[in-house]
This record gives sequence, structure tokens and C-alpha cells, in this order.
Amino acid sequence: MTIVDTGMDTAVQETRDGSARRRLTSGLGPKAAGRRVRDELARVVMWLAFLVALVPLVWILGSVLVKGGHMLFESTWFTHSQRNITSSDVGGGAIHAIQGTLIQGAATALMAVPIGVFTAIYLVEYGRGALARAVSFMVDILTGVPSIVAALFIYAVWVTTFGFQRVGFAVALSLVLLMVPVVVRSTEEMLKLVPNELREASYALGVPKWKTIARIVIPTAFSGIVTGVLLGLARIMGETAPLLILGPYTKNIATNLFSGNMATLPTMINQDRVEALQPALDRVWGAALTLILLILLLNVVGRIIARFGAVRT
Amino acid sequence: MKIQRFGRMSAVALVGALALTACGSDNNTTSASGTAGGGGSTANIDCAAGEVQAEGSSAQKNAIELAIKNYQSACAEATLSYNPTGSGAGIKQFIAGQVDFAGSDSVLSDQPEEGVVETEDAAKTCGSPAWNLPMVTGPIAITYNVPGVDKLVLTPDVAAQIFQGRITTWDDPAIAKINQGVKLPGTRISVFFRADESGTTENFTKYLSATAKDLWTADPSKVWSGKGEGKNKSAGVASAVKSTEGGITYAEWSYAVDNKLDIAQIDNGAGPVELNSRTVGKAVDAAKNVGKGHDIRLELDYATKEKGAYPILLVTYEIVCSKGQDEAKTKLTKSFLSYFSSKDGQKSLEAAGYAPLPEEVRTKVSASVDALS
Repeated sequence: MTIVDTGMDTAVQETRDGSARRRLTSGLGPKAAGRRVRDELARVVMWLAFLVALVPLVWILGSVLVKGGHMLFESTWFTHSQRNITSSDVGGGAIHAIQGTLIQGAATALMAVPIGVFTAIYLVEYGRGALARAVSFMVDILTGVPSIVAALFIYAVWVTTFGFQRVGFAVALSLVLLMVPVVVRSTEEMLKLVPNELREASYALGVPKWKTIARIVIPTAFSGIVTGVLLGLARIMGETAPLLILGPYTKNIATNLFSGNMATLPTMINQDRVEALQPALDRVWGAALTLILLILLLNVVGRIIARFGAVRT
Repeated sequence: MKIQRFGRMSAVALVGALALTACGSDNNTTSASGTAGGGGSTANIDCAAGEVQAEGSSAQKNAIELAIKNYQSACAEATLSYNPTGSGAGIKQFIAGQVDFAGSDSVLSDQPEEGVVETEDAAKTCGSPAWNLPMVTGPIAITYNVPGVDKLVLTPDVAAQIFQGRITTWDDPAIAKINQGVKLPGTRISVFFRADESGTTENFTKYLSATAKDLWTADPSKVWSGKGEGKNKSAGVASAVKSTEGGITYAEWSYAVDNKLDIAQIDNGAGPVELNSRTVGKAVDAAKNVGKGHDIRLELDYATKEKGAYPILLVTYEIVCSKGQDEAKTKLTKSFLSYFSSKDGQKSLEAAGYAPLPEEVRTKVSASVDALS
């Protein structure tokens, strides 16, 4: 989703530039014809690229809406689970999966946010020299770790080494690995945006460093940090690899992170994906749409907070 | 101040999320669809409470889902989850101690394979021998689409040649010879096979290589070794045959029934045998139990010459620890499996396109379930 967003922004930006230039060169007469042709050509290519980028997005959203939209209006979709619903049965809902996704997301955030925020504070406010460079480098590496590797790492530790069961908490652990770098990077950027004058003014009044960070720096950057956290959360909620490896599906409502199976929207999609029966397929599309909406909601909330509370300079 | 505002906002969001999740309900009352045809009564289930996880074969998914539904409908305190990740994955997770029982198309192997003896590893995990309990039998149907031909007999040799692409038209003399009196058209034969790896393919090729040894020389495997056009999943091959005149494929019985396809009768040498629960039961009856004691391993005789036994079969098992597991879980597993292997439980499977275990095998399985501790 983020990729497409950027694509849109740039395309619009470029077009604006293009039209601006056209106005400038249009009065130069026949000698500028070649330039004008090139300009038009570039504009057309840019528009085409934008449209091509738009095709899959519109296609995906369209087909998910058409095929799964009606499921969201079923009376039981947001209130009931899939308990006692076989693949050929109509009915039931997705509350067990929605709930599982939210619970695991919350557990992940609870672990990843403190780690990420404090790492970022260290990097911006304290970190100097080799250690800071090493931490920064590690965060970069962590950003590039594919989710399946994170999942297998946790499987190796949690299941193979310690012999624990595959439970929701193990899923959250592997999601933490994916969320921490996102939180660190976004928080870091936000903290860097806080003007040094604020810190200096605080020091000048005799406020110690920790208090300056806690009372001046963090509040100033707070909305940016929240946005980063929400975007990070949106990123991990749609992750599937850790769920396939560590989070077996169940049709029942489960709230215990430490025992038993816990359903999530991605595993709910995976469960009925292979079926050919219409009720099962309807559920797959419904769950897909629910997941998209959930993540969309997080993104929107993140952006709204970002808009209302940009860092004041 | 800002912090407080956001704090308040997130508190509201959190409470909202909790409120949304708190009103969820597990109480789905459907018009017991699976039991409608099979008439599976759930009256005399000895309920247990708790949670049990299972994983494995996708061939028995519909059967066990139905059994779980019936069981849970009667026992609201019980929660069973079955994840159809495939037999291999099921056995691996069982050996890793991740699931309470596994579903599998084949028994735990007692021969070393790549240095691993499954029975030994499973016994190590369980702290007691693991038992294989046959629970679901699913016949594989050879389905075809030839307008005007609603009765077709195939012998292993002819079937092998068709699926190898050696016989290419429906009026081939080899087919005509075993279908006297049937007016066969000159339509081209279109063979469809499972493009994905499948236990159905494995069992079907097992049948062909057991009965038509000289013609079908490829080793039985989950990957198709014959000719034809690949389609994904049973639903894919079934719908391909439905829409293609002259099409033929192999698929689980339930898919043939769902798509209203014609099913070929199989002649292993003792006359044509129609596919129905009686003929399937007869074939399972004829299967030899090569397991010891409460461990039941059925050896199917694909080449059976027994009259009225339908030979192309898939038997799927539940693999359980015989004793020494968590008491509550054992109680629930035992209670569920004894429903699954009960007369009622087995009978309800018919509606989902599976054949019930023959009485003799069923009693043995029931006895094994009772012996779990």
C-alpha cells in the first residue's frame, strides 16, 4: 500500500512540473517544437506509468470488494466465530480472527514499541561512536530480514530449543522482530526533527538530560512517534509467514496468548483458500476485505494523527 | 498536555477495540447440514471439556470437520481444531509434540527413511507407543463425461492406457470390448490430472501400478506421472471434466457426487463393481490388518479379485499417543475419537462423500480408542 502511495505522489508531482514547464516553453515558436514533443512524450509516459501502477491496486480492491463485500453485511460477520461451521456451511463470522489479529498486534506493539522507542532515543540523544554505529547497522539489517526468516528463527528458539507449543505469543515474538526496526527508524526521524534550540533552552534552565528528553523532546515528537507505531502495526498485522509457521488456525474464539491455537485473519484466509465450495470462498474474500479495511483504518488513523500533531518547530 | 490528549485518544481506541471483541460469540446454530442426510445422532456422546489441536491430511478434512462440528454441537465445553496442512506436516508436528493427534493418509513408517524411523520418534515424544487408527475411508472415483454413456466399465489395463494417453478415443476397441452393448462415440479422450501434489494421485497410481504392473511402470507418487492436462485440486479436475465432452479424471467420491459426474465401474477381474458405500466397505473389510495389538494398520489389496469390492481406496488415519499425555487432553481426545469411530459418527460421514468403516474394523478401532489412557 505504501509503495502505491508513493507512486501516486510522484506521478502527480511530475505532472505538475511537466505542465509548468510546458507553459514556459510554449511561447518560443517553431524552434522549440522538438522540446515540446519531448515534453509531451515524457508527460504521456509518466501518466501511463501512473496508470499501470494503479491497475493492480484498483483490480485487487475491486475484486475483493465485489467478491467479499456482501460478507461484511452478514448479520453475524462481526459478532460470531466459525465454530461448528464446516466448509460447506453458510454462516458464522470472522470475530475470532479479527480478535486474534488485534490481540497479537497489541501484544507485539506492547513489546516492540518500548524497545523501538528507547533504541531510537539512544541513537539520537546518547549514541556516539562504535556502539551507536553497530546498533544502527543492526537495525538496518533487521529491516531487511524477510518475515519467514524471523518466523523460522522464533520457531527454532521457541519450539525446537525450548520445546514450547506454537501459541499466539510466539507469533507476537516473531512480529516484534519485524516491527522494531520500523518503530526505531520512524522514531529516530521524528526525534531528529526536534530543534536543538529546545534542548539547549532546557539545559540552560538547568534541566537534566533525562528530564529534557522525557518532558521536551518526546512530547514534541509524540504525534510523529505514534504515527510511526501505527504504520508499523499496519505492516505486521497483514504478515502471514509467522502465522503459518507459529500460529495454527482454529475456528473458535481464543483469547489466551500462551496456550492453544489462535485464529487470525491471514490464517482464516489460508484455511479455506483451497476450497471450491462457494460458502468457503465467500469467507475467504470476506476475511481478505476485513483485513484490508483493518489495515486501512490503522493507516488512516496514523495519518490523521500525523496531520494534527506535526512536530512544531 | 499533548500526551494526555493522545493518551485519552488511545484509551478510547483501546476500549473500543475491547468492546468490539468482547461481544463475539462462538454460538453458531446452523441447520445441521452435514447430519441432515447421514442422520448422525449425537445423543449419546460422552462429553469432555477442554481444547485439543490436530493437524494433517487434507483428504480427511471434510470428514473430520463434520465430526468436530457434530461433537462440538453436543459438547459446548469442548474445542477441537484441525488444520489440513498435509499428512507429512501432520506427522512432523505430532513427532515435535505440537499437536495432540495427527491425521495422515499413511501410517507411521517403521522403516528407517533418511535416518528417521517415524514410529520410534513418535514413541519418544509420546513416552509410549503411538497408535494408528483408521478413521475415514474415501473411495476414489474415475469420473467421465461422455454424453449418452451413463454406464461405463473399466479394467485396470484399459484405465492405465487411457491415463497414459495410449487410448485416445472413446470408441477404441479396447474400451468397446469390455463395454458390450454400449454405444460409444468417437470423441477424443481428454485426461485431466491433479497438478498439485496430492494423496489422491498417490493412491490412484498405487492402484494402477498394483493392478496393471506391465503398463503402469512409474512409481506411485504424489506427483502425476501419466499424461493429460493438469488442474488444481479435486475441484479443478472435477469441473474440467464437467465442462469437457470426452473428459476423464480421478477424484474423491464426494467431488464426483457434488458435480453430478458419471462414475465408471471397475472390473478387477471378478466383474464390474459400482462405487457405493457397500462395495467400499467390502474392500476395506478385505484389507489385512498388519498392525499389532491396538495399533491398526490396514493393508489394502488393490488387485483384489473379490466379488463386489471397489478397489480404488484411500484410508486415512488418526495417529495418537497411546498413554501418558496430559489427562484433560487425553480425556477429550478419547471422547472425540470414540464419537468419531462410533456408528453414528461414521454414518454421518456418508453425507460428505466418505464411506463408513466396515463394522469389523470399526469395532477394533473403537476398542483401541477405549484403551487410550
